[in-house]
Amino acid sequence: MLKILRRLARNPLYVISLLLLLVVVLITLFPGLFAPYDPYKMDVEAFMSWPSWKHLFGGDQFGRDVFSRAMFGVQKSMIIASSAIAISALIGTMLGLISGYLSGATDLVIMRIMDSFFAFPSLILALFIIALFGSNMVNLVFAIGLVYVPIFARTVRGAALSLRESLYVKASRALGKKSLSIMLTDILPNVSSVLIVTFTTNVSTALLTEASLGFLGLGVPPPEPTLGGMVGQGTAFLLSAPWVVLFPGLVIALIVLSLNILGDGLRDILDPRINR
Amino acid sequence: MKRFFQILVLALLAVTLLAGSPGKLVMAIETEPVGLDPTLVTAFASHRVLENVYDGLLRYDESMNLVPNLAESFEVVDPYTILFKLRDGVKFHSGDPLTSEDVIFTFERLMNPDTKAPAATYYKEVSSIKVVDGNKIEFKLTIPMAASLLPNFAGVNSSILSKKFVESGANLQLSANGTGPFELADYVAGNYITLKRNTEYFIEGLPYLDEIKMMIMPEEVTRVSALRNGDVDLARINEPLSLNQLPTDRFKIHRNAVLSYYLLGINTTRGPLSNPKVRNALNYAINREMIVKLVAFDEGAVTGPLNPELEFWAMKPSQFSEYTYNPAKARELLTEAGYPNGFEFEIVASQRYSFDKVAQVIQAQLAEVGVRAKINLVEWGIFISKWRESDFDSFISLNSGSIDPDIQFNRTFHTGGSTNVFLYSNPEVDALLDRGRSEADINERQKIYNQLQKILVTESPIIFLYSANTLFATNNSVEGFRSLANESLIFLRETSKK
Amino acid sequence: MEFGYIIRRLLSAVPTVLLVTFMVFLAIHLVPGDVVDIMLGTQNYLTQDQIEELYREYGLDKPLIVQYGIWVKNLFTFNLGTSLRTGKSVTELLGERFPVTLELAVFSLFFALVIGIPLGIISAVKRNSFIDNVVRVIGLIGLSSPSFWVGAILIVLFSGVFENFNLFGYVSMSSNLIDNLQVMLLPSLTLGLMVSAQILRMTRTSMLDILTQDYVRTARAKGVNSRNLIMKHVLKNALIPVVTLSGIQLGYLLGGTIVIENMFALPGMGRLLLQVVNERDYPVVQGIVLFIGVLIVLLNILVDILYTVIDPRVELR
Repeated sequence: MLKILRRLARNPLYVISLLLLLVVVLITLFPGLFAPYDPYKMDVEAFMSWPSWKHLFGGDQFGRDVFSRAMFGVQKSMIIASSAIAISALIGTMLGLISGYLSGATDLVIMRIMDSFFAFPSLILALFIIALFGSNMVNLVFAIGLVYVPIFARTVRGAALSLRESLYVKASRALGKKSLSIMLTDILPNVSSVLIVTFTTNVSTALLTEASLGFLGLGVPPPEPTLGGMVGQGTAFLLSAPWVVLFPGLVIALIVLSLNILGDGLRDILDPRINR
Repeated sequence: MKRFFQILVLALLAVTLLAGSPGKLVMAIETEPVGLDPTLVTAFASHRVLENVYDGLLRYDESMNLVPNLAESFEVVDPYTILFKLRDGVKFHSGDPLTSEDVIFTFERLMNPDTKAPAATYYKEVSSIKVVDGNKIEFKLTIPMAASLLPNFAGVNSSILSKKFVESGANLQLSANGTGPFELADYVAGNYITLKRNTEYFIEGLPYLDEIKMMIMPEEVTRVSALRNGDVDLARINEPLSLNQLPTDRFKIHRNAVLSYYLLGINTTRGPLSNPKVRNALNYAINREMIVKLVAFDEGAVTGPLNPELEFWAMKPSQFSEYTYNPAKARELLTEAGYPNGFEFEIVASQRYSFDKVAQVIQAQLAEVGVRAKINLVEWGIFISKWRESDFDSFISLNSGSIDPDIQFNRTFHTGGSTNVFLYSNPEVDALLDRGRSEADINERQKIYNQLQKILVTESPIIFLYSANTLFATNNSVEGFRSLANESLIFLRETSKK
Repeated sequence: MEFGYIIRRLLSAVPTVLLVTFMVFLAIHLVPGDVVDIMLGTQNYLTQDQIEELYREYGLDKPLIVQYGIWVKNLFTFNLGTSLRTGKSVTELLGERFPVTLELAVFSLFFALVIGIPLGIISAVKRNSFIDNVVRVIGLIGLSSPSFWVGAILIVLFSGVFENFNLFGYVSMSSNLIDNLQVMLLPSLTLGLMVSAQILRMTRTSMLDILTQDYVRTARAKGVNSRNLIMKHVLKNALIPVVTLSGIQLGYLLGGTIVIENMFALPGMGRLLLQVVNERDYPVVQGIVLFIGVLIVLLNILVDILYTVIDPRVELR
């Protein structure tokens, strides 16, 4: 862990994105410390007001402080995106391990199902899930989570397939170790680096998916602020009150950018092929 | 490189040639028609196209008075009889002349249960339609409601069809043959609709435009940018704030008060809201002016049960004390009703037409008196399904109003009324509605409807909110454009372009 | 040999595609609000009898599994049915809408490759330098913000600056090439920026992978001209994974352009899909989903065949 950090620290780009993400984590944990106002409070005085020292990001249609909403939005969006990806990582890894290690008919069935998920526009898939179960934060997490399951399943399966034939897995099998325990103790630790990278980059895409759903009117119900919801709902005002949509959009962009750069950095470091 | 410049020059040439061709109006609309059969369509987006392709026996003039259209004149002979005299020399776009047979055919088709036409319910009291003196058509009714039936003849759903065309097996959902000022020239779904001038339109000299191209652009930013950029001449504006971006020296704004109104519809059989006193408390707790400001940017007006635009019928919102924001009174009523600490309920809303925004403001306002509203944001299809099954505590919606109070009130508040999803039932209201419908004396009718409006406010199965202006913007080359209080665009026929 | 391979791949894809259509079929029928509800909207002008007759007319009175069976049966005669709302045949609708989406996808991919590959090469060659960092940040920007947001900003900027540029009003390529290209520019650029980040990343990784391999190191040590080496040997090998990725991205673009098509008012298939899902126009939803599914399968096969062309060592199995 420390070794990874030290290697990341060699490149200022990684340092900057790490610091940014640290701030994001702080905001996620204590949004109240950063937000000067109540994010739900409607204040007619601030109605569509330009950014000022009083309202850093301006005021929105209901006179709410855009900055405060963005801070709480960071919290909500990060929780949604990371729990969604945590779910897909969990399910996807399980399916991928089973599929890759057992292979044969099980592999075929699981991968066919995963393929069919892939062969379908993810936005419409999420739309169906939310439409079926109603739009609240928990369902949104599951909807986005499900969309990303195949990515993890495929990635882990690939790794598991190649590890299956490795010497130590063969040895474990010869020693009579059970399949489940081989999967968990021999294979899983070896796919962890791939998992970390996939996790980081997909949290960023999940943030964008949340935004698209907000744009289509299927995000978290109001008045809860999420970054995606703010951008999605605010787009109509891009010409007339750009601050309502530009600032939350920039916050998303910064977070996603940092996650992507960090993901790339981790890939560089963790990928044994490039590291000679 | 030389080739590149050739293409560039060609491109610039093409652009200059296309820009601003006179006689061709390009407009940006937000939704596209769903089907083109005038008898069947319900979508407003379909109406907007078809009203320029088809004609009804009557139409509205600018001040929303009924005037003859395909009928040269009309007469309410007695409360049971309406007589239309058909205009001579009108031709369908196919070239066939309009005859009284076409009129009879149209209404028989409309009233046939197999057609499943939305307007059939309004004509269900028609007992016979027949031709008299060759070019007159007589409608006989079973109850004395001739006056309140009349507005229906100006509706798109009552457009006159060509018997020959329909019987030839044409699919009216996909093709059109009307008598209107424009012919449907081209419809590329998801892209645009082109209307071409009907050179044989029965009003000499109209329409002025040779061609109208309606481009379907769902996003507000896109429509406004296209207008600013000159790609379109006329655009529908959904967010009033966009008007700031249209400098008055280059653009004209057309705002129009409309009859449709926003409402908080309540399921009168569920939980605390089944108590009229509680519903009335909500009346006091909601600051309607604030909703108009925050959601409609003041492009709208507070409305009571009837739209203030209907000057003869409507009582002014200021005449109801319930419409004055008074949270203290709301608390008092809640305490009296046994909810001193408020209660929790659901507001179903979808993102369409800013329903979610209205819900947010109401949620914040009700929180001030301790009532906790939970917004249930749903996809449109689910919204409709909930509406139809009365599966809600309350919902935000937009109802179309009507010129005659009977049309609007009967379906909405009569026990078992076709859009009474509020499950509201009050014998007193039912009796008044029945009397209002068949009362011939207009002053008597006014009294009846005044009484109804008062009851509807105190009982509040619906909390009436406001009516938003319809906004269109044109560039300076467009002249004579107007829209009507029912959001109709029939005046495109008198629109021209410099 | 290759022919047999293609047949086998196609056959093995049948269950996948059927599974997708079945899942979608179930989902759209289980979502509250059916086609009749939405047709009637917030009006109520039909009697219960008339409504039931409508269900019969549309074949919606039968059990779901039977309805699906009928749909599959009709597939064998290439009959995808007709739209319940407009009466247009689904095949015709696909024929109208797909070319727009295809054009958008191809142009976007073009932009993605034109931006992504050169940046990827620079970034790999100058690994961990300042230039590498700058290039990567620029490359990632398109992927880092919601596409509709980027699209909207581009619209506002362009419509303000280039007054005579045709931004909206799709016309087909064959009817007016120049208008068509003008209208397609911004949406393809928006999507292209998004995809270019992935292309950049893949090009960089796979270049690095090859640059560090022994034979390249040896060649370098022997003094082979660096530029030549990169262009001739490294690039060719490095592009193989980029081809796969392009295939995957093209599939994604064909199915995933809903938001952009809405924003730029393009009459493409994604927008149609969203619309018919909202209207519960079942036959059209099914038709589009089937079409996208088949398309993605074909694309994957095509990519695998392309592999053998670029790298003869790869064998189709």
